[in-house]
Amino acid sequence: MHLLLPKVQTFFAASTLAVWSICSALSFSADSFSADNVDAVAQQTLTKYCNDCHTGDKAEGGVRVDFLTGDGKLESHIELVDKIILVLKEQQMPPADAEQPEDADRVKTIEWIEQRLREFDCGTASRPGRVTMRRLNKTEYNNTVRDLTGLDLQLANDFPSDDVGNGFDNIGDVLSLPPILMEKYLNAANQIASAVVKDEAALSKVFPRKASDEKNLEEVVEVARENASRFAMRAFRRPLDTEESERLFNLMRVAWEANASKEEIIQATLTAVLASPHFLYRIEDDKPEDFVDGIRPLNDFELASRLSYFLWSSMPDERLFQLAGEKKLHTTEQLHAEVDRMLADSKSKSLVDNFAGQWLQLRDLEALSPDPVKFAAFDAKLRKSMRRETELLFANILKENRSILELLSADYSFVDSRLAKHYGIEGISGEEFQRVELNGKRRGMLMHGSILLLTSNPTRTSPVKRGKWVLENLLAEPPPPPPPNVPELGAAGVALGTLRQQMEQHRENPNCAVCHVKMDAVGFGLENFDAIGSWREADGSEKIDPSGTLPGGRKFNGPLDLVQILVEDKKTEFSRCVTTKMLTYALGRGLGVADRCTVSSIVNKLSEEEYRFATLVKSIVTSQPFTFQESGR
Amino acid sequence: MSNFQTKLSRRTVLRGLGVSLALPWLEATGTIAKAAVAAPTPTRMAFIFVPNGVNLEHWTPKSEGYGFALPATLEPLAPVKDDLLVLSGLTHDKGRANGDGAGDHARSASVFLTGSQPRKTDGEKIRSGISVDQMAAKAVGQRTRFSSLELGVDPGRMAGNCDSGYSCAYSSNISWSSESTPVGKEVNPRLVFERLFASGKPSEVDKSQQQRETLQKSVLDFIADDAKRLQSKLGRNDNRKLDEYLTGVREIERRVGTRTAKPVDVEVDYAIPDGIPGGYQEHMRMMCDLMVLAFQTDSTRIATMMFANAGDNKNYRMIGVPDGHHDLSHHQNDAEKLAKIAKINRFQVQQFSYLLQKMKSIREGDRTLLDNSMIVYGSGLSDGNRHNHDNLPILLAGSGGGTIETGRHVRYDLETPVCNLFMSMLDRMGVDTPFIGDSTGRLQGLSL
Repeated sequence: MHLLLPKVQTFFAASTLAVWSICSALSFSADSFSADNVDAVAQQTLTKYCNDCHTGDKAEGGVRVDFLTGDGKLESHIELVDKIILVLKEQQMPPADAEQPEDADRVKTIEWIEQRLREFDCGTASRPGRVTMRRLNKTEYNNTVRDLTGLDLQLANDFPSDDVGNGFDNIGDVLSLPPILMEKYLNAANQIASAVVKDEAALSKVFPRKASDEKNLEEVVEVARENASRFAMRAFRRPLDTEESERLFNLMRVAWEANASKEEIIQATLTAVLASPHFLYRIEDDKPEDFVDGIRPLNDFELASRLSYFLWSSMPDERLFQLAGEKKLHTTEQLHAEVDRMLADSKSKSLVDNFAGQWLQLRDLEALSPDPVKFAAFDAKLRKSMRRETELLFANILKENRSILELLSADYSFVDSRLAKHYGIEGISGEEFQRVELNGKRRGMLMHGSILLLTSNPTRTSPVKRGKWVLENLLAEPPPPPPPNVPELGAAGVALGTLRQQMEQHRENPNCAVCHVKMDAVGFGLENFDAIGSWREADGSEKIDPSGTLPGGRKFNGPLDLVQILVEDKKTEFSRCVTTKMLTYALGRGLGVADRCTVSSIVNKLSEEEYRFATLVKSIVTSQPFTFQESGR
Repeated sequence: MSNFQTKLSRRTVLRGLGVSLALPWLEATGTIAKAAVAAPTPTRMAFIFVPNGVNLEHWTPKSEGYGFALPATLEPLAPVKDDLLVLSGLTHDKGRANGDGAGDHARSASVFLTGSQPRKTDGEKIRSGISVDQMAAKAVGQRTRFSSLELGVDPGRMAGNCDSGYSCAYSSNISWSSESTPVGKEVNPRLVFERLFASGKPSEVDKSQQQRETLQKSVLDFIADDAKRLQSKLGRNDNRKLDEYLTGVREIERRVGTRTAKPVDVEVDYAIPDGIPGGYQEHMRMMCDLMVLAFQTDSTRIATMMFANAGDNKNYRMIGVPDGHHDLSHHQNDAEKLAKIAKINRFQVQQFSYLLQKMKSIREGDRTLLDNSMIVYGSGLSDGNRHNHDNLPILLAGSGGGTIETGRHVRYDLETPVCNLFMSMLDRMGVDTPFIGDSTGRLQGLSL
């Protein structure tokens, strides 16, 4: 039945874009593909293809790269190294009209440079980087309004979707504010204001002080002024300066002079505050006089916001404001104490929904629909349960401050009856999720229905997608982007056998193998799970062979074995990956080479403290990029 | 709810809000309508984006000029064949890698209306160029309540990476109001409707409204003042963000200040949408309806629509294609896949035809709404398998107020920039610009 050129084409065509096969028609020298000679290959490649132009004082474009092959230290060229990796990955260099290295050699060279970066000395002074001021995204807007007024209005659900960058929807540079959104902000501000004046509880939360004598105009004015300033302080998440208070008061006066009622005056004030850039953006001033050598520590109010939006996707609470007002927040001890308190708070659910939901792409599950003919057991309810399972595992590790490695290795999980049935776990009834011990075929989130579904095609599994997902999201070793022209596979000849055999044949081309050997092995290890995560022993009439060999020669037999190896051999890479993702999310900007030191020191700390979740969070919130700002002028 | 009730409630709501759909140039009775008929009818422009390229074999007509036979994919356009041009051979050079490596899908959307090379970045400093619709919106948009309307069917992706190191902003937007600001799009028909019609000017200006306006103006002054005071405290990138804010505030100030003529109360049978419909086709058609309503009521003259985001991988089970569109587009010349792609292409063209027929059914003086429009339909990729950005599938419907000779297939020399078409369209909108994107001049052959 597997006679087939068309079938091979079908398979590869389907995976080409999602999983760029780095195949090339170029010939390939067999001896350059062995783990031992990476160093030699990289040195030779750089010397042969780069140093000609980029050496010495007359280097092309003023860019010297010969420090890579010489004794020069990476430390003094750190920003340049980032660019070198990029142009190599993107095949921008060597220029198209120059002689090109083999694809495999190119990949080895990139790996070598990245390895050296990992080893480089962090003793030199580092920079915190500039975070572009962040507009509240939809979730943050909803949560902030909820915490500010006590009304959970969810008005941002009608805003246009926030664009995603670096894998997250809270990246300052990517969050733009088109006119339609400004319009919606103003409408929402109006709606919130009118909802507040109609709701007694909300009104007293927003404007808590009442005049003792409503007829005493002087007192009424004084109280109104104080209430307005207090509200603006909470909304802007910092104290107001005198001028701001005056301007706000002036707005109230104008309304009063226009014969507006008390409610209307309050409404206008709330609307103005809620439509102000100080509310809609998280602003960290960039006044030249505040910066020494281009950097400054954040003040306690700015820190409070960074903390609260990181852990709660919302504004600081009263305690954070109080600590900030007393300038007590910024000490390491206090930050640690607040992290413990904030993670224990139910609002830390936002970290599960927004961080884990985006890092692990659980949010994308919503858009997936497996072929209803092949997977009749699947429905929207099962999809929801799948997502919930992974969220609950993450939440459990967060709440109990467990090791982040448990995400991979947990021998327990959380299921409702629907999911239990799907997994073949007996004795679970009802829609409540319950903790169950896993003693059979599954362990950790890689064997969760959510991730298995997420990394499959609608009609079948995709070992390549699964492998790529692991490399990208768990090990931070994304395969390089494709060469500019991926050649067609039509000339490959007649392939015979299972999906696996077809793929193995494909990998006989060493230029393909250089990336696919990594991706495919992981994917094969998970082949016992079909495209919706059900256990299977065979694919059609073909028995599943879940064994494989990882790069470096480590053999495994089946998914449990594979995960065991990941946890043992790859815990540093995994920790580095989680740290990178979480730091990106916490800062709201992509990381650069300069952030590698921060990441490395957090990874070290994790290894010292049993990879505990709180250690990760605490290390991030006390890191230099989190507590300092760099001038963007 | 029965159809009757829906319509009834719509009218009730419209009247209740004091809003009516104003059609100043229609041949309605009343002095205002008569006065408006004498004025030239406005020219509209719209752009519709489809992802993943097309199966060109079933797209490109065999012959050129008048009287070409519609290929299978374009067959649904038969009722409006004489109202459109098939333009072959046009290129978006800035959609190509040009040294930036992979990411043709992201580029295909970001280049579609900008003709600018997007900066390859996943997060830091996203940059493209101002798009043709926004260029027109800036120049002539102040003549209508909304300077432009950005519509779509799918929201932007909510997590992960969209395409090879390009931020998702590049894949899910085609309108850019500045090189760093994608405009965002509205995908919920209910919200579009409310925006267009529910917040219109009440027809009677009373004392309390004056007071409301005073308050609204003080609020706008306050927040604009906030933003201006903030400028000096911020660096370059932050100020770029603040500019977006100020632009938004100015747009609202302008609209508050715009007094539309006393509205003419006409009856347009359109049920208020109650949200995002379940079916893809129904959703697309609703968005088309709203675009037509917006043009018809002169709420705006400029619109864009994304039938799907770049690289979209949704399945088309409703027409018997269970595979993901993007997966399919890497067809490797497999006949079965190519046939499925053509099927998807045809389905999308059907919706486009629905839009055009609707526009053609609306009379404006001696012409139709379609005559008074220029509607571009196309993809920023030619063949999804090759990822090429030349010989793009592009249609131009409407005669731009009688200035375009429609009903033909025109083939251009390879490498003719799509932006030259935009230049010719901007001319007809009365927009004066030395260039857009990589334009090298005007597109010849639109009129004879």
